[in-house]
Amino acid sequence: MKAALKKEIDGIIKSYDGTHGSLLGILEEIQKRNPHNYLPEKTLAYTAKKTGIPPAKVYGVVTFYSFFSLIPQGKHCISICRGTACHTKGSRKLLDYLRSSFEFEGDTGGDAKLFITTKDRYLTVRTVACFGQCALAPVIEVDGKIYGSVTVEELKKILKKLKGSRQ
Amino acid sequence: MDSSTRERRIAEHKKRVNLIFKKCVWDDFLDRALEMSPEDMLEKVKESGLRGRGGAGFPTWLKWKFAREAEADEKYVICNADEGEPGTFKDRAILQEQAGKVLPGMLVCAKVIGAEKGFIYLRGEYAYLLPALSQEVENFNEKIREKGERFSIEIKLGSGAYVCGEETALIESLEGNRGEPRNKPPFPVSEGYLGKPTVVHNVETLVYASIIISEGPECFKSLGTSDSAGAKVFCISGDTDLDEGIYELEMGMTIKEFVELFSDGDIKAVQVGGASGHCVPRKKFADTIIGFEGVPTGGSMVLFNSSRSMYNVLHNYLEFFEEESCGQCTPCRIGCQQLLKGIEAVKSGEKPSEYLDDLVKLAGMMKISAKCGLGQSAANPFISIVEHFREEIMY
Ligand SMILES: Cc1cc2nc3c(=O)[nH]c(=O)nc-3n(C[C@H](O)[C@H](O)[C@H](O)COP(=O)(O)O)c2cc1C
Ligand code: SF4
Ligand code: FES
Repeated sequence: MKAALKKEIDGIIKSYDGTHGSLLGILEEIQKRNPHNYLPEKTLAYTAKKTGIPPAKVYGVVTFYSFFSLIPQGKHCISICRGTACHTKGSRKLLDYLRSSFEFEGDTGGDAKLFITTKDRYLTVRTVACFGQCALAPVIEVDGKIYGSVTVEELKKILKKLKGSRQ
Repeated sequence: MDSSTRERRIAEHKKRVNLIFKKCVWDDFLDRALEMSPEDMLEKVKESGLRGRGGAGFPTWLKWKFAREAEADEKYVICNADEGEPGTFKDRAILQEQAGKVLPGMLVCAKVIGAEKGFIYLRGEYAYLLPALSQEVENFNEKIREKGERFSIEIKLGSGAYVCGEETALIESLEGNRGEPRNKPPFPVSEGYLGKPTVVHNVETLVYASIIISEGPECFKSLGTSDSAGAKVFCISGDTDLDEGIYELEMGMTIKEFVELFSDGDIKAVQVGGASGHCVPRKKFADTIIGFEGVPTGGSMVLFNSSRSMYNVLHNYLEFFEEESCGQCTPCRIGCQQLLKGIEAVKSGEKPSEYLDDLVKLAGMMKISAKCGLGQSAANPFISIVEHFREEIMY
């Protein structure tokens, strides 16, 4: 691991010094600063050593929460709601469209707790249980921004507007 | 009912029941509340008949009393804004529009139980609310510091796990652990965050608490029924023709009245209370009351018209539970998987329809043996949908 990265992690851990329950916050921050928005194994091992928290516990926490990723994520992220209202109003079609337009790695089909990234790390697609915007179903989130009543046509437009779009 | 009559009725209801979203000046509220003795506040909440709005409906005053009587050097108030129940979005709306009433609710609770620290556990998917909410919390902390109060609020962001809405899992998560529910008892009111007495409340409960303290219990108690006092915020989605989804309604309505108001009438079922709630078929609309004496709800009401497949609805719920089960206890970890596989097998003809009866027994077993509310309530949609829409599961 590079010295600069170690220093960065040290800084993050220090900023949480002594506060209870800081592990989640520390890991979130480390992941956010990673260029591919994930937690490499070495980073986890280093964090465990530095915080004095057993590696098994760190790993246990990371694998419990869906926010954390152990594999690199894409440059852009689209989350599709698969909650009752969105499912009923056809959110599956949006997912199907993305699946037919990009080549994802490790896609095992289905839409339950999906977290897939394209081979070229351009796009990550995930499903969410409900965005709390059900009156606007179907709802998706693109790079942190919420869109409601999305149709396939609209999704196409959104994709075109993404930075570095290849469509 | 034609649409203009519906509009008129909704408008009338809105006028009569308007506590949560009413615009009001809260500046002098803090002064008034701070002048009141904790005993007075507790008495007011007791008189109002307020019960928790997070689902379980435990009397709010009793929670406060237990935490107040618990002896400890530190106590905590937690606002549960994890709102993960599919189809529920009222807490999001309340935090967006009325955060100014949520925070005083936390202060009032803290005064009664003797806490100096409060947390808002905000659902990770609601991170987009953070900038405005942080500002609001900062101002509030500043204001009460100026008034010489020793109480402050901190926001913690969740990391994406439905089960963390369960109060003991939430506390585990706050402590930096996997969000796995604890055994109860001990309940959080005696051993919660860091082992100290902790009161966990839904966002809406806290708002009603501040309204009750500020305007007196009568404004709340005069609404609703004897078991379900007051009003409640509902989130309406699915096959409704209205654009808006959030309504504050009096407790004790029947589903029939509800469906007449909020849809064009072609509704075959209503899922009350989200994925963990009950599915009510049309033939039961007239005699099912929305409230603790009938079907309780955290607020979610999803309407299904006659074109919807209840198999798909149930399948969607079971997938949700299978994913979100924390895996800690066997009835839920294995049970959710088997219910899901089971309906798939019946649908495909691999298993005979009688197999559904075995699955209903399994669901009943989960209800009594799962460790927390997640595994226990996964059985609710299963049993109610299989009972009323058996043919849809079979064919
Ligand atoms: C799986 C599960 C998820 C829950 N999610 C929430 C939630 O998102 N928000 C909430 O207020 N209560 C939730 N609850 C209920 C809480 O455990 C707790 O009863 C509630 O926060 C108490 O607040 P109240 O007294 O104001 O109702 C959940 C319970 C279970 C079992
Ligand atoms: S019922 Fe389910 S979610 Fe609750 S403790 Fe057991 S496995 Fe975990
Ligand atoms: S079901 Fe999609 S936002 Fe709630």
